[in-house]
Amino acid sequence: MVFLTLSCWIRSRGPDRYWKVQEVLKNARHFRGRKNRCYKLAVRMVRRAFVYATKARKLKKRNMRTLWISRIAAASREHGMKYPALMHNLVKSSVQLNRHVISDLAITEPRSFLSLAKLARARQQEGFRAALGDGKEPPGVLSRVAFLQ
Amino acid sequence: MRCGGVCVKMALSRTCSRLWRTCTPVLPRHPALLQAAVRLQSSVRGAPAPALPPVAKTSLSQPPWASAPSPVSLEEEQRQSAAVVAAVNSVICGQDYGRLFAVVHFAGRQWKVTDEDLILVENHIEAECGDCIRLEKVLLVGAQDFTLVGRPLLTKELVHVEATVVEKTESRPKVHMRFTRRKRFQRKKILIQPQTVLRINSVRLAPALT
Repeated sequence: MVFLTLSCWIRSRGPDRYWKVQEVLKNARHFRGRKNRCYKLAVRMVRRAFVYATKARKLKKRNMRTLWISRIAAASREHGMKYPALMHNLVKSSVQLNRHVISDLAITEPRSFLSLAKLARARQQEGFRAALGDGKEPPGVLSRVAFLQ
Repeated sequence: MRCGGVCVKMALSRTCSRLWRTCTPVLPRHPALLQAAVRLQSSVRGAPAPALPPVAKTSLSQPPWASAPSPVSLEEEQRQSAAVVAAVNSVICGQDYGRLFAVVHFAGRQWKVTDEDLILVENHIEAECGDCIRLEKVLLVGAQDFTLVGRPLLTKELVHVEATVVEKTESRPKVHMRFTRRKRFQRKKILIQPQTVLRINSVRLAPALT
């Protein structure tokens, strides 16, 4: 080694290690244990946290939709209808409200939700009437049901 | 003579029905003939024809769906709907409904909106701060006593929803990170979305309903 003076002996490293470390630790300050203080542990945990947040942003949309659906199902059962019947008949009546808004109406505007349920029920009965027709078999067909009535 | 004839016909009908029940392919002639015979008997005799023997309730004696409710006649239905429309019309013309809420389709989402509401839209909107915007796609309007449901939209002459652009900012920085273990792969991206805040000034209903 040929360091003849002190100033040549000292290595000069990067100037901003402290700030880079703080940038990572600030995202870990609310963690529990040593991983909120020690960089080596914090780096791994912060990376996991970011990856979980990224994935959860997609899951949140799915979970919210499931929540809305279960709320609408519960509210429609209070009015004597089931969720698939309600939604299918609303779609057939060309009402294009999404599940978010229908669940909000079920919570905050019960009378409007009741009106939607009645609309769906009327459309359902109309569909049944159209399917059943007169209650008679088509001409030329004889069956036990028609015979015994 | 007449009694003999009746007895023969009754015997014939009984055998016919027994035959029809035992053989599976339904022979269309027999039941028709039987019914015709019964009807003829009643018209000739002038007395009520003997009822068919009581039939046991099987899985096929009734259709599996619930019996349809007694249908309300068309005139009755039209009268009821006209009454409802008249009642709603009177309330709207009287302008005494109080606060209105509306369901509005805007920026790819549906919002349930009233007066003095704030809406945060994660979009850039082509309007400056302080501009007045009219939200045109209204799906539903409701008040205390009535709801108007659009199929799918309500007309622009009926509902008027006005909003003002309050601020245009950016969202907080969100981190999009991908990482695969043991493969030395990680990517980090910081996403900042433009946001707009709208204040809903008024939801108004025009006093004209057909």
